[in-house]
Amino acid sequence: MHDTDSATSLAIFAAKRRGDNEVGLDHILLGCLRVISRFGIVTLGSWTLDLETLDVDWLRQPEGPRPKVAYSQEAVELFDRAAQIAKSVGESRISVYHLLAAFANEEVGLMGELKRVHGITSASWRAAVAELNSERTNGFKPEGLASEETKLREYLTPEEAAQTLSIHVQTMRAYIRTGRLPAFRIAGERAIRILRADLGKVLEPLEVGKKEEC
Amino acid sequence: MSFFVVKRDLPGVTAEVLQSAGIRAKSCCAEMTGEGQPVRWIRSFYLPETAQTHCYFEAQSKSAVEEANQRAHIPFTQIVEVIEMTPEMV
Repeated sequence: MHDTDSATSLAIFAAKRRGDNEVGLDHILLGCLRVISRFGIVTLGSWTLDLETLDVDWLRQPEGPRPKVAYSQEAVELFDRAAQIAKSVGESRISVYHLLAAFANEEVGLMGELKRVHGITSASWRAAVAELNSERTNGFKPEGLASEETKLREYLTPEEAAQTLSIHVQTMRAYIRTGRLPAFRIAGERAIRILRADLGKVLEPLEVGKKEEC
Repeated sequence: MSFFVVKRDLPGVTAEVLQSAGIRAKSCCAEMTGEGQPVRWIRSFYLPETAQTHCYFEAQSKSAVEEANQRAHIPFTQIVEVIEMTPEMV
């Protein structure tokens, strides 16, 4: 699935989840941020945005009851702007980064709130999106853009599991060796597999108020 | 499933506006399909001389195609059922 398809799908989901009749700018921004997030966190420029504080259930995929929604006029204009931005940088398809860049001059709604809370300006937003886009073209792949093949596989190799948590494979092997993370051996072989759903067992929440390194 | 052509008059339209509309059409078709009302945007042709666009969709009914276009916020002048014919069929 193309990243824009994921973003639009999540935007529609956000509108439905909030009981809105139209898919507006806030929904599209949330969809885009969800696509570029890792574990519900978006690191953009010097800002760290926690999707949970923006009322996004970052683990939940679109499903369940589906009331009908349509795009708003503002959404249409945003897509038009994103297409112009894509053209201006010589790219033939609109990506999630073009959509994000198209939010740069928004002063109201969620984007306006992000600007106020984080001290974001139009220029700093565009610069941060451009930097992220260049990381993408150099091989970085946010979780929302993981290949369908990887997304669908329930069992991971130790290398893939380590990559998913962004830790060294030796650390992952230590978790397995010490029993902190359940793992399985393919019958009669040396190969080890980890259930994707078990990866959360080595994560623990940061304690608010306690002095911890972030 | 039947085929339909959606005719649009879009004087002065740019390639970017068409691309923007394409993304919206694609996402609305996917959403309606997920809702249990399958609609598929097949392809579109822009006729520069007349500033018209002919967009082909596959769906169970004309109303489904109409709804997909309304949700995508893309104007149209007419939706007509079409009979498919390819060189392989004759």
